[in-house]
Amino acid sequence: MESLLFLPVLATCRLLLAWVHFPVPDGLLIDHQLTSPLTSYFRLKEGLWLYNHGVDPYVGGILKHSPLFLSLFSTVPPGRVAWALSDIVGAWALVRIWRSRQQLGQSRRDGLVGTAYLLNPYLLLPSLASSTSTFENGAVLLTLMFAAEGRPSPALLALALSTHLSLTTLLLVVPVLMLLATSPTSQLASPRLFGGSYWKVLRYASEFVVYWFVLVCAASIMAGGVWNWMRESWGASLILPDLTPNPGFWWYFFTEMFDHFRPFFLMVFSTHLVIYVMPVCIKFQHDALYAAFLLLGILGAFKPYLTLADPGLFLSMFAVFPEIYPYLRHAIVTALLHAHASLLLPLFHALWVIEGRGNANFYYASSLVMGIAGGAGIVDACFAGMRIAVGSVPEVERGKWEVIQQ
Amino acid sequence: MQWLQHLPRHCLFLLACLAAWTSAVSQDEPVANFFGKHNGTSGHTNNWAVLVCASRYWFNYRHMANALGMYRTVKRLGIPDSNIILMLADDVACNARNKFPGSVYAKSGRHLDLYGGNIEVDYRGYEVTVENFIRLLTGRVDPSVPRSKRLLTDDRSNIFVYMTGHGGNEFLKFQDNEEISAFDIADAFEQMWQKKRYNEIFFMIDTCQANTMYSQFYSPNILATGSSEIGENSYSHENDNDVGVSVIDSYTHFVLEFMEGINKTSQVSMQDLFSSYDPVKIRSHPGVRSDLFQRPLEGALVTDFFGGVSQAEIFPVTEEDADTALQYITRVSFPDHVVHPDPVSPQACHDQGVNTTRSNATALTPEKDNIMLDVRWKDIRKWTSIAIVGFLVGWVSFVR
Repeated sequence: MESLLFLPVLATCRLLLAWVHFPVPDGLLIDHQLTSPLTSYFRLKEGLWLYNHGVDPYVGGILKHSPLFLSLFSTVPPGRVAWALSDIVGAWALVRIWRSRQQLGQSRRDGLVGTAYLLNPYLLLPSLASSTSTFENGAVLLTLMFAAEGRPSPALLALALSTHLSLTTLLLVVPVLMLLATSPTSQLASPRLFGGSYWKVLRYASEFVVYWFVLVCAASIMAGGVWNWMRESWGASLILPDLTPNPGFWWYFFTEMFDHFRPFFLMVFSTHLVIYVMPVCIKFQHDALYAAFLLLGILGAFKPYLTLADPGLFLSMFAVFPEIYPYLRHAIVTALLHAHASLLLPLFHALWVIEGRGNANFYYASSLVMGIAGGAGIVDACFAGMRIAVGSVPEVERGKWEVIQQ
Repeated sequence: MQWLQHLPRHCLFLLACLAAWTSAVSQDEPVANFFGKHNGTSGHTNNWAVLVCASRYWFNYRHMANALGMYRTVKRLGIPDSNIILMLADDVACNARNKFPGSVYAKSGRHLDLYGGNIEVDYRGYEVTVENFIRLLTGRVDPSVPRSKRLLTDDRSNIFVYMTGHGGNEFLKFQDNEEISAFDIADAFEQMWQKKRYNEIFFMIDTCQANTMYSQFYSPNILATGSSEIGENSYSHENDNDVGVSVIDSYTHFVLEFMEGINKTSQVSMQDLFSSYDPVKIRSHPGVRSDLFQRPLEGALVTDFFGGVSQAEIFPVTEEDADTALQYITRVSFPDHVVHPDPVSPQACHDQGVNTTRSNATALTPEKDNIMLDVRWKDIRKWTSIAIVGFLVGWVSFVR
């Protein structure tokens, strides 16, 4: 894992996996754990077909992808190689984030970091299922990579792109702006007030808005209208028109929601995502990359159309923060909860949908376990991130007291 | 909610269109062309079956088997349970004397269980009465009668009415209790004709002196056949030694044998069915009455009555045709005067329906140019958006 060739070999293996035409079972492509209506491969193909035949692809509520996916995949055919390349780009970005954080050109842990992304089953399976969450994750990692390397414009462009592809990534705007204004190196042990210049942050924010606007124009030109694609792709996260089961919380809640309460609870659920931004960023204002990491964890548990790729990104990013490992209090509990949930989810889904012996409650219960797993990961990471600052208990005192809460 | 503001405008437009449409063009010819397009002659759009076994008790096992055999055939050829009214006394399958409980067989040797696990009997036991039968046919049912027990036919329905039991000269015995006469059935059919409750009726009856039952019909579009002449008995076909009673009647047996060779795509005509009657084998003289039937019997398919066949037209679609069709659809669905293209609004649907035939003549010729332009416009949009994104990426990478 420490040899220089390890990462290239891994990347080649991933490409080979895409090249070799082993038949991916259809069940994987439509699996509700791996794809959602926002990321489904079949919906993308349907949208492409409609587009190629001159019908507005956003009429009918099938296509919920961004028009930029349409323009990309009508030039480049949506083959598995594209997904493999996106995976490799994401892994490479993660390695570069790690290197910027450590301020090293190369390190012995590069291979481990790359493996943590490429071989994470939560990320590999959606990629094999041709779910476009691979591209969304890749865009997020590119954003963090450019921001960590201190290149504002590419970072802001990548952020505009990832926000465009998936609206909920808006949560990352604040930490990325903060990261651009400060440095990515680990400051967890020495919390201090935000050292960057607010003026710079404002400039970056306006540059982000400009890039975002240009992308919206490009998308509108592609889709032949402004509101049709916005209503379908971004509106889906806000209005939740499609209640396809997924490992998240939203769908079940809204299947049983009376219509006159729906707008209120949609607002509550969306606000729930947004309220985490400021507290996390304020608490971790000394280490914006860690704040971004925590917000990715929040997204990975509470996103509207969750798939396994979202907690997968959060878990892979643990590899970039080895300094917190000694302070994680219940890492094994989190791991077991994830194992538990990832085994129960497909089981109860099959029992409910395919066999008809179970019902939605079983499946929702297993997605609640997934939520607990995500929550346990976030809470543990949050505590560990703060605990570092307190420092280790000196040898002398170790039996006598321990830091429980800061 | 933008369409709500334009609602009065849409309504006026719709009214104007309807007025122009109804005054200008007569409806009959296009309608006749539509219904005659594939079927050739029949003009029906749905099929119903009314299968009546008018006997009860164990020794009338064969009448139950007759009706169930017809039921199976009619279901096999495509009429769904929702369009079949099955009236049986239904007292043989679970009869204490039935050595094979839950099963009804129509042949000795017991190879095919007609009762099975999937039949839907609509009128069972004491509900099979003359009054219920006539109410069913005429539609004068109590409001509390459920949908599954109603004959929900319309003027495009072909109905197959099959009756079996003990009968005589112009009567049929219902459950050893009452009788229905040929006049009653004829009057019921006339009521149906007046109320436009059928397109064509095929009446088949298997009783003693069956042909007398259809002698009194006087409504149009009825084709009738019966198992035996006046003064003749209809005989059962065979016994099964283990069941212990006759399991099928002769006439129905040979009709069912003939039907076993028919499937949904069959082009066999009613004349072929009637030609297959062999009075020697059946041991009675089956009759046919076709004077009330408008079409020639060679042109009437067996599946017109026995099957629930829907017409499907398949023509090879080339890419250009698909483009044409879809361009046409999009253009028709969003005409200029409908402001907000909300595809599910009723106004848009009505406008589409009304506009379709009017723009039929004009839309065809300028199609070709418009398609090319649309195709190019779509490509222009795609490449423009790719160019914008590419330019942005390039600018950010190299300049900034």
